[in-house]
Amino acid sequence: MFKAKIMAVLLFMGLVGLCGVRAIGGPHWSASQADPAQEAWRKEFDDVCSKTQDAMTFSQEELTVLIRRCDDLLPQIEKLDETRKKVYMGRLRMCRGLYAYVLDAKRNEKK
Amino acid sequence: MPMCSMQKGTRKNERGLLLLVLACGVLLLGNIASAQIYLPKPPPEPSEYGKVILDNYSTAGPGAVVFDHWLHRSKFTCRLCHVDVGFAMQAKATGIRASTNREGFHCGACHDGKKLFDGKTIFAACSDAANDKQCDRCHSLGKKGARKYEYKEFTAKFPKGIYGVNWEAAERSGVIKPVDFVEGLSVKKAPMRSREDFSVKAGFSWVNPIAFSHEKHSIWNGCELCHPEIFPTAKKGTIRFSMFSNIEGRYCGACHGKVAFPLNNCQRCHPNAPLWAP
Amino acid sequence: MNKKIFIALAVILVFCGQALSQTGTKKKRPLPYEYGRVIIDNYSDKADLAPVVFEHWIHRSKFTCRVCHVDVGFAMKAGATGIRAADNARGYYCGACHNGKMVAEGKTVFQSCSKKVTAEDAKRCERCHSFGKKVASDYDFFQFSQPLPKERFGNGLDWEKSEELGLIKPASFLDGVSIQRKSLTVQKDFALNPKVEGMPDIIFSHKKHTVWNGCELCHPEIFMGVKRGTVRYSMVDISEGKSCGVCHTTVAFPLADCQRCHSKPV
Repeated sequence: MFKAKIMAVLLFMGLVGLCGVRAIGGPHWSASQADPAQEAWRKEFDDVCSKTQDAMTFSQEELTVLIRRCDDLLPQIEKLDETRKKVYMGRLRMCRGLYAYVLDAKRNEKK
Repeated sequence: MPMCSMQKGTRKNERGLLLLVLACGVLLLGNIASAQIYLPKPPPEPSEYGKVILDNYSTAGPGAVVFDHWLHRSKFTCRLCHVDVGFAMQAKATGIRASTNREGFHCGACHDGKKLFDGKTIFAACSDAANDKQCDRCHSLGKKGARKYEYKEFTAKFPKGIYGVNWEAAERSGVIKPVDFVEGLSVKKAPMRSREDFSVKAGFSWVNPIAFSHEKHSIWNGCELCHPEIFPTAKKGTIRFSMFSNIEGRYCGACHGKVAFPLNNCQRCHPNAPLWAP
Repeated sequence: MNKKIFIALAVILVFCGQALSQTGTKKKRPLPYEYGRVIIDNYSDKADLAPVVFEHWIHRSKFTCRVCHVDVGFAMKAGATGIRAADNARGYYCGACHNGKMVAEGKTVFQSCSKKVTAEDAKRCERCHSFGKKVASDYDFFQFSQPLPKERFGNGLDWEKSEELGLIKPASFLDGVSIQRKSLTVQKDFALNPKVEGMPDIIFSHKKHTVWNGCELCHPEIFMGVKRGTVRYSMVDISEGKSCGVCHTTVAFPLADCQRCHSKPV
């Protein structure tokens, strides 16, 4: 199952690359952090947290899955070096926080 | 015997207590000395009232600046300088420098040698081209005859109250017309409705309640001079302030006691209070 | 006797308390080029360097808030990120862009802290570690602000309008750092009633806020309430830098600009 997910992610990333999707508008800035795209945790992170903009459109089930995926990432990020741990723990906290917040809001709506 | 020892003990305690009280007294005096004011100081001569001595950086150079509020407040609203220009309301807190004036901030916001007022060009502050005589117009501490305007002649025709000029009456009668908008400095915003006047209950039953007029205050101050910095909320009863904080120059005391009518003009805030004026 | 002491102590306490609090005064309004300035001094002192002076105005003219505060991961409070030289040298925080490699607007972005520093590097260090020093910057605020539409507080600029007019183009994506995101489904604007007689309602625009911030910069860390009306915001809290005050006392237009939030026509 996990492998399949990774494959899906890889395929998706490939497609994105092929299509050349770029952020809309604005000049293009590029930074270089030590080959980030090569690591599995980073791919999973990028995939999970790329959907924050659409958080409001997801169902409760989808949000629950996203939150779980965030939680699964945590132990991997904790193993990173000091700098990356600091950066990505923060980013993951914000990303998971948002999904949990939206889930909360949706549950509240139904009540 | 037990009686005796008890008495001894009490005496010992008493000595300890006496020391404590003395220590407290010293601390208390120290506190009063350090804060200097816990009774409203009798205000100075009206001509001296609202005088600000600015000597952040100038003592070594051209000498300290003497800024008199009476001259500027006759021409401009409080808001114009304290909101649009951005002067703080404690002496020296703004950190004015010759360079900031030259850049067109602080004094230099109007005193730029270009702006016109009453058909006259406003002299430039801290300009490189200025001679000593021009510097002395502001850097005038201890220099006789350096200033252009004198209080007595300037305010001769202004209506007076129990303490100096009654500025409100001066505007009502049209002797002064404080300007609230300067091109390039002020930005017009949609006007907000002035809130109703209200009364504030004093903390003590023997003090008359305060009649506060939003209307009177907002004429010269707008909303943003007082809110949210001096009075963080517009909701009644959420901030507690006292005459102590006023005397320290906070809340009402940010203006009253420094520039606006002084704190011992009791009746102007506490109507029907006994007259206690200089 | 005891009563006297009690009174004396009470009086002292009252006076001390009074002297300590500094509310109820009008502070200096920062100059346009000072607004949003952050002094960062976590470890500089130990390294024998002056604290870092960070100017928001130059960075916000080139990037959205989200790029730095979500993607790069800067905290919203001075000193809270705990930036270290090593972090920068590894290509994170300041070093995410300031790496001596990134090219922008035809210029190579100067490198921030590097592992090896030579004597010639001292000048480069001073570009950021400039507190209390006279360091010439590549950017002059006056020149920069000249063509931009003006507003009355903060940096004295209308940043929103500047973008509308195309005078600034804040980038919302940083290659290698940001994640490809789809465009945003914007939430509706809403009005908040200030519950103070005579005060116009606050019109909150989700659209205006999400353009530069996305969602997760504000939710849930700054605004955690999920149901409108359950969390009460007060001007006292906001003045102290909570909720709206996180940005609107430090970088975004300040609180004295009443009508920009209390904007519903009366």
